[in-house]
Amino acid sequence: MKAVMIKELKIMVKEKANFFFLLAMPLIFIIMFGSIFNNSDDTSLTFNVIDLDHSSASKAFLKQIDAIPGMKVKASPTSQLKDEISKIKKGQEASIIVVPKGFETRLTGGEQAAIKLYKDPASESSVAPIESVLENITSQYREQKLSRTLAEMGQTKQQVKQTLASPIQIKDVKTASDNYNYISQVVPGMTVMFVFYIMISMVRRFFKEKESGLISRIRSTSIRPMHYLIGMWIPFVITVIAQCVVLFLFGHLMYDLNLGDLSALALLIICISLCGTGIGLALSFIVSGETVGMVVTQVIALAGAMLGGLWVPGYLMPDFVQKLGHVFPQFWAQKGLQNIIVHHAHIGGIMGSAAVLLLFAVIGFAVALVRFPSFLRSASN
Amino acid sequence: MNALDIEQGQRPVEPFLEVEGLTKVYGKQQALNGVSFTVQAGSSFGLLGPNGAGKSTTMKILTGVIKANEGSAKLFGKDVSKDQSVVSKYIGYVPQEITLYEQLSAYDNLYFFGQLYGLAGQTLKIRIHEVLEQTGLSDRSKDPVKTFSGGMKRRINIAAALLHRPKLLILDEPTVGIDPQSRNHIFDMIRSLNQAGTTIIYSTHYMEEVEALCDEIAIIDNGLVKAQGGLGELLERYGRKAIYLEIGGKVNPPELTQVDQVIKEGAGWILETEHVSEVMKSLLLMASQRDWDVKQLEIVRPSLENVFLTVTGTALRD
Repeated sequence: MKAVMIKELKIMVKEKANFFFLLAMPLIFIIMFGSIFNNSDDTSLTFNVIDLDHSSASKAFLKQIDAIPGMKVKASPTSQLKDEISKIKKGQEASIIVVPKGFETRLTGGEQAAIKLYKDPASESSVAPIESVLENITSQYREQKLSRTLAEMGQTKQQVKQTLASPIQIKDVKTASDNYNYISQVVPGMTVMFVFYIMISMVRRFFKEKESGLISRIRSTSIRPMHYLIGMWIPFVITVIAQCVVLFLFGHLMYDLNLGDLSALALLIICISLCGTGIGLALSFIVSGETVGMVVTQVIALAGAMLGGLWVPGYLMPDFVQKLGHVFPQFWAQKGLQNIIVHHAHIGGIMGSAAVLLLFAVIGFAVALVRFPSFLRSASN
Repeated sequence: MNALDIEQGQRPVEPFLEVEGLTKVYGKQQALNGVSFTVQAGSSFGLLGPNGAGKSTTMKILTGVIKANEGSAKLFGKDVSKDQSVVSKYIGYVPQEITLYEQLSAYDNLYFFGQLYGLAGQTLKIRIHEVLEQTGLSDRSKDPVKTFSGGMKRRINIAAALLHRPKLLILDEPTVGIDPQSRNHIFDMIRSLNQAGTTIIYSTHYMEEVEALCDEIAIIDNGLVKAQGGLGELLERYGRKAIYLEIGGKVNPPELTQVDQVIKEGAGWILETEHVSEVMKSLLLMASQRDWDVKQLEIVRPSLENVFLTVTGTALRD
């Protein structure tokens, strides 16, 4: 068995296609998605602004927007007012805020100072947050005015605060970990997705052994069929473990991915590896040829990736799709990994996922055991 | 003396391998139909047959790769289908295909097969060194097999079956698609192994290979052994006895009562007869009396090819 394992590991290392499918491809995907969505972490809302007043009041107003986390003011010169409005009309810009001349004068004079919001009716969804922020700032001005009035009426600061306090208060309670970002979705997602491509390598290797007559020859030696089977299987398990280690290390070093509890992560990686290779083993003895094996692998890998929430978080998908995803081992692998990476789960917190993955592995191995004798017979004939 | 205790130059008479009534069916195809033959220890046994005759199936049964539906193959009394350890310990099997890992070096391939035959450590390393010497590939041992020529691959293919010093070496068409030099090297290897006491079973459809290597031959066709014996014995039993005659200017062959059949060949005739010397005498007399311009008159040497065609027929095979 050891001889078969060592031989298989040597072949694995020498076959460049394995590196491409198991390492290069997922790395490319991680880098690609990582760079796209890492940049999109800069989700600040941009306010296109033209200040016609150039007063300290208008500057204070704009500074107030800029100070809100996630908001950014992009000021354009006064001369571009017409161009900017024209762009909105053409649908090239969604909105622009114009602080009119005389803003400060009207404000200090106690009059209502108008802020103009030019907007493209077709871009309602992107303008809505800007309107909301403006509403909020307007409310703050209103509150300030009321505070001043109440203070003038003789109320203390505390009384003013109580008077203006809203009957409803919304408290933010963070339930998600600070570790959640798109990388914590992409790295485990792509790792799990490409783990299942090991099935192609497995089908290819078993059929090569069969068609070249090697199985026939090996059967004339002292090795037992079961030892041969396990000897062929274990190198794939080791390969997948190595694949996961490399991809997670890459995510950690390149994108500062939190790896959570390493013992839990190691356990889950072993379960994922047994699951992917167990199914691969079954597939190798079920399919009639390499091409069929490749097609079935693609279906399992891609369908599982899509429905198992490897590409986008499951909660973004329709309810029935989320439920359908439970059928795929990829769902359980991703769930377990995210529990470790995002939710700081330890071994106890991933036992469910690990158990389901092991169940898939056991079923795969059992099917392989049933089919193996007929595979050997067809290889010998 | 036990069949396994073979010293150089000694040939025990007891059967080394006894094959009795092997049958094998693949689906609806009857591959073997009761194959029986015996192989003496230390002999070089040729299994000769056209494509699809059942040679490879017989080899695979002998090596425990597949099981026969009926019949038995006993290596010094032990049924190979019931005791795989007999096969793995005493038999070296060289299949028809080149069964090597192309990505791995010759050394790595031999190391792998040596381990499968139960060798390890220094013993295995020494044996690898020895078989590489035998095959003349010591200097290429670290190169990947995929860089080898067909002949070199064939030699390593054989070397992999020699590592555990088998008592019986079974070679299934080991020279397919190789150059004359490699073939010659393989023949020398087989001869020296046989001289050193290894019993050989050599399967092929090339007559000249069997003639060059084997002292005992079985002709197999349609899943049955049609003839078995030494080369001389088969030639005597099935070989065509004939005389070739070519006469300048003569249109018709001479008519002789002792000639069974006359076949036109080239510018002359093959006169088939059981009475070669009498017919030869008659022809010489006729030539002298009738003043023939004899261009060629000779006894036709019986060939294995004649025997083969006589036994298996001339019908084309798939």
